[in-house]
Amino acid sequence: MAAAAATAASKGNGGGGGRAGAGEASSSRKKKGPGPLATAYLVIYNVVMTAGWLVIAVGLVRAYLAKGSYHSLYYSIEKPLKFFQTGALLEILHCAIGIVPSSVVLTSFQVMSRVFLIWAVTHSVKEVQSEDSVLLFVIAWTITEIIRYSFYTFSLLNHLPYLIKWARYTLFIVLYPMGVSGELLTIYAALPFVRQAGLYSISLPNKYNFSFDYYAFLILIMISYIPIFPQLYFHMIHQRRKILSHTEEHKKFE
Amino acid sequence: APCQPLKVEILDAKTREKLCFLDKVEPQATIAEIKNLFTKTHPQWYPARQSLRLDPKGKSLKDEDVLQKLPVGTTATLYFRDLGAQISWVTVFLTEYAGPLFIYLLFYFRVPFIYGHKYDFTSSRHTVVHLACICHSFHYIKRLLETLFVHRFSHGTMPLRNIFKNCTYYWGFAAWMAYYINHPLYTPPTYGAQQVKLALAIFVICQLGNFSIHMALRDLRPAGSKTRKIPYPTKNPFTWLFLLVSCPNYTYEVGSWIGFAIMTQCLPVALFSLVGFTQMTIWAKGKHRSYLKEFRDYPPLRMPIIPFLL
Repeated sequence: MAAAAATAASKGNGGGGGRAGAGEASSSRKKKGPGPLATAYLVIYNVVMTAGWLVIAVGLVRAYLAKGSYHSLYYSIEKPLKFFQTGALLEILHCAIGIVPSSVVLTSFQVMSRVFLIWAVTHSVKEVQSEDSVLLFVIAWTITEIIRYSFYTFSLLNHLPYLIKWARYTLFIVLYPMGVSGELLTIYAALPFVRQAGLYSISLPNKYNFSFDYYAFLILIMISYIPIFPQLYFHMIHQRRKILSHTEEHKKFE
Repeated sequence: APCQPLKVEILDAKTREKLCFLDKVEPQATIAEIKNLFTKTHPQWYPARQSLRLDPKGKSLKDEDVLQKLPVGTTATLYFRDLGAQISWVTVFLTEYAGPLFIYLLFYFRVPFIYGHKYDFTSSRHTVVHLACICHSFHYIKRLLETLFVHRFSHGTMPLRNIFKNCTYYWGFAAWMAYYINHPLYTPPTYGAQQVKLALAIFVICQLGNFSIHMALRDLRPAGSKTRKIPYPTKNPFTWLFLLVSCPNYTYEVGSWIGFAIMTQCLPVALFSLVGFTQMTIWAKGKHRSYLKEFRDYPPLRMPIIPFLL
């Protein structure tokens, strides 16, 4: 879901009006766009993020070649993964201050779900870090993000190669289910350890008369994938038809 | 006054399709009357779900607006937008308030399948738990009675989906709070009876305050009208908060819940108060802004919800 949401929701800079359903006065569709300073900053941001995820991609390949197996590759890219995925929190700020036309709520949701998986599941439950499911979502996210951030970079510079646009709106077909599977399998693998350690849980009685069962919470999260993932997936499929067929028509006239 | 009847055509705001043509309409006719006429040809669009405007992207016309006074020629062109299924405010309020009242009592009486079977229909040994039930129930009974007898609503209806949203919020939080307060393992407040007495005082004062404001606002508006006036303090000391805030009813409401949170020393109650405070602040700021826009002589000292601060 974190994988799905990342590509679905924020259409980002220039590449479309974003899912700003609530709260965008779309009566006058004059896309103001960010000013020159904001554009420069966003280009730098997106270039840095593209580079960061490339570092992760290269790290994965090198570790695979060095080890000779695809198990436990998480450890070789743990730090840049945490750094660059957490850095994506800035994207919420970008929407909040208006330099990116996406919805704050939607962007928060997608970034938070990624950050949740990185820190509250993978980092917090050490036993899960050697699971193959982690590699599954890391690969899915890495490819998705490299394409997404380069898409934004090129869009901002008003020079978007068709290949990037195609990749963004096509590869998700495989990457979404792959990422979602990796995420769900990882959360599932974490469950027994959470239960055993009582991780992030508090039980009664206590003086604040409050309780929280992290194990139950994780199960609720897993269940929430059922309504959310199909919606995001089919939204992207719909977007794909709209955007790629539109470009095909334009290309005919070139 | 000219008695030339006007023609009215109603077009769909999105497709510009001609939906209705009314020959011979009285110039004195109100938008409300035109909505009634439109419903005759399109019964599925009852007046409450019609939004009629002069410009497809403009603001909705009010029911009281008179046709003659609008900038239209001999043929008035109005654009229609469907607001979706509507439900009356009174219905929504009654449903969203009756829920918490009933749900809390289910937990208070420890109805089966909530706590372990050995606790079914048992009673808490803590006085504060009984007091909390009285306060919570009083609060929602007060709200129900105010909805029926005190409030004067500007709008008759709201979109139907709001009832699901609102009920989930009120009913959900009520269940969450009630679960802990009435739990067999509930821990009474750290500072004992002193804390409870102080909290109760805050709660009662704020409930009286909130009620006083509702009465003062009701008296500002005659029955059946939709007039809007600047509210001012009355002889009732609870209304003197109007000197400092635009929406003292919200101020008192937040105060009541803070009191309840201190009384029960229950984190879910504190979270509920926080969420409520956030929402009421948004509403208060909006109301404050409309007051400022509508009234040139609006008292400058007033803040939206918290004196001097917010």
